[in-house]
Amino acid sequence: MIDKTILQRLFCQHYSEMIHLARTLLYDGEEAEDTVQDVFVRLMEADMLPSESKMRAYLMTAVHNGCVNRIRQKSVKEQAKNLYCTETETDMRYIEERLETLDAVCDYADSQLAEPHRTIFRLRFKEGLMLKEIALQLDMNLKTVFKYLSQSIQRVKEHFRP
Amino acid sequence: METNPNINRLLEMLETPEAYSEQEIRNIINSDDETREAYRLMVAAKRGYIHRQTEQPTDIQAAWERFEKRHYPKPSSRIWMKVAASFIGILFVSGIAFAALRLVHQYQKPEVPQTEQTVSISKTNNTIPADTLASDTTGIQPVIYDNIPLEKMLPEIAAYYGVEVTFLNEETRQFRFHFVWNPRQDLERVVNDLNHFERLHVTLKNHQLIVE
Repeated sequence: MIDKTILQRLFCQHYSEMIHLARTLLYDGEEAEDTVQDVFVRLMEADMLPSESKMRAYLMTAVHNGCVNRIRQKSVKEQAKNLYCTETETDMRYIEERLETLDAVCDYADSQLAEPHRTIFRLRFKEGLMLKEIALQLDMNLKTVFKYLSQSIQRVKEHFRP
Repeated sequence: METNPNINRLLEMLETPEAYSEQEIRNIINSDDETREAYRLMVAAKRGYIHRQTEQPTDIQAAWERFEKRHYPKPSSRIWMKVAASFIGILFVSGIAFAALRLVHQYQKPEVPQTEQTVSISKTNNTIPADTLASDTTGIQPVIYDNIPLEKMLPEIAAYYGVEVTFLNEETRQFRFHFVWNPRQDLERVVNDLNHFERLHVTLKNHQLIVE
């Protein structure tokens, strides 16, 4: 079992980055905290630790895998409703690279989409509103909201196409 | 800009996924590369906005305290009770030993009158009225008699057990002891402990404590 003082030092050193990744993947603060705590519980019960140079990678991969497992345990309906990733993201490096592009996607949508496309995009993905709610809020026809969002998705997708 | 009918189907499904079967949902998301990419982009957009929101500093100390509370539980009060009970036991045994030493020492020295140190008892609230003790035994603490004459100490103990005290020898009335009395113990055990003192012999007979 790992000494409490050592565990606390690792916790203080890495928690911020770990919780940030978990929240980004799970969208839920409580579930994210449980996932990170699980990683430290496993670490606490371990007989030996990864080397200092590999510690960050180890912890981040453990958080990522914990999140993927939690998402996998949700029903496909729940995954779709909350826009969870339905694919198995196994390569941590790939995830980190994708995390770096997340801001770029939002920046592009916020700066390059015209109104009302931009507002619809933000209400759907930032505020988590359903299209019916957006139509009601913006006093627009539901089909129009559908069309604008579909156009926005295609435009952003085209921009980030590899 | 023309819209992709598969992406429109994806958007429709995401509005009410509960109306579709799990297989239908999978089929819609994976209808073609375009639709799959569109779903990935939507996930990325949601993650991106959350990623931005969660960039505020985290209260690591509070997070550690929550972790500590959950995974390093403090010993329960039951354990503390056991520790306290062990401590009282040690105190009791050492009390007897101390009293024996003190009594021997006292009789080796010339008689010097000492002031009764009853203050220590009242200060620590260890002397509990006998009627209270008799009616409620929960939370009873041991009573420490520190250099108290036997004529004062024994009637208190006797009253708790509802017996009388008879001193056969007037001299023994003035014997002073350091004695720890545990009211949880029965009278026979207390008598036995008192008899560990030199020059003191106590017997229990017909609801009477007879001191020789």
